[in-house]
Amino acid sequence: MATATYPPPPPYYRLYKDYLQNPKSAPEPPPPTEGTYVCFGSNYTTDDVLPTLEEQGVRQLYPKGPNIDFKKELRSLNRELQLHILELADVLVERPSQYARRVEEISLIFKNLHHLLNSLRPHQAQATLIHILELQIQHRKQAVEDIKRRREDARKLLKESIATLDGN
Amino acid sequence: MDIISQLQEQVNTIAALAFNTFGTLQRDAHPVKLSPNYPDPPPPSNPTEDPATAAGNVSEQPKLMTAALVKAAKQFDALVAALPPAEGGEDVQLKRIAELQAENDAVGQELQRQLEAAEKELKEVQELFGQATDNCLNLKRPD
Repeated sequence: MATATYPPPPPYYRLYKDYLQNPKSAPEPPPPTEGTYVCFGSNYTTDDVLPTLEEQGVRQLYPKGPNIDFKKELRSLNRELQLHILELADVLVERPSQYARRVEEISLIFKNLHHLLNSLRPHQAQATLIHILELQIQHRKQAVEDIKRRREDARKLLKESIATLDGN
Repeated sequence: MDIISQLQEQVNTIAALAFNTFGTLQRDAHPVKLSPNYPDPPPPSNPTEDPATAAGNVSEQPKLMTAALVKAAKQFDALVAALPPAEGGEDVQLKRIAELQAENDAVGQELQRQLEAAEKELKEVQELFGQATDNCLNLKRPD
C-alpha cells in the first residue's frame, strides 16, 4: 500500500538565515490567537471555562447559588444514586419494560456528580497557588536570615583577625 | 492522586459496578415462565460445565456484587469527608493570593538587597586579602 510522505516543513526557515548576526532581520513569531479559532475543522475557544449543565441540556439536581456546600451535595447525590439503583432493580423485577426512565435518571445523577467534581477544580487550583506562594515566602525569608547570619559571622571573623594581627 | 481525581475515579468505579451487577443478573437469571401450559426447561445436566455456576451459586453472586457496590459507595463517602474544608468563597481566595503576591515581592526585594550587600562585602574582603598577601609577599610595611 503506498503511503504518502509527510508534508515538507514550512519554508519560513530561509528568513532566519542571519538570525545569529542580527536578531531583528528575521520576522517576529506570530502573536497568540484570541477568541475562537479553527483547528482541524472544528471550532475551539481560548476561554477555558467549564460550561454549566444547562448549556449541555442536563437538568441540575443540586441547588444553584454563589456558595455551594460541596460535601453535603456530594453526599446527598451519592444517596440518591443508591436509591435509584435499588429502584431500577425493583422495576426490572416487577415492570421490566419501564427500565428506560430509571436508567436515564441514574445517568442524570452521574452527570451531576461529575459536573460538581469538575467545578471543584478551580478552587483546588487557587488553593494550590496559595500553598506554593506561602512556601516560596517561607523559603525566601529563610534565605534572608541565612545571608544575614553569614554576614554577621564574616564580620566577626574579620574583627577577630584584625585584633590578632594588631596584637602582634 | 489528588483527592478530586480519586473522587472522580470512585464515581466511575461505582458506575462500572452498577452496570456489571445488572448485566450479570440479567445474563444469569432464570427464564420467566410465560404461561403455565409451557413445560419447564430441562435443568442443566452438568453444573461444572457452565462457567457461571462454576464461579459460585447463582444466588451468591448478587450478594457479592451488591456488597462490592455498597463498599464502593461507603468509600466515596469517606473520600468526601476527607475533602479539605471550603474556606470562604472565591473572593476570599483571590484576595489572599493578591496579599501573598505582595508579600512575596517585598520579601524578594529584601532578599535581593541582602544579596547585593553580601556580594559587595565579599568583593571588598577579597580585595583587602589580595593587598595583604601582596604586602606579605613583597615584605612591604603596612601603611
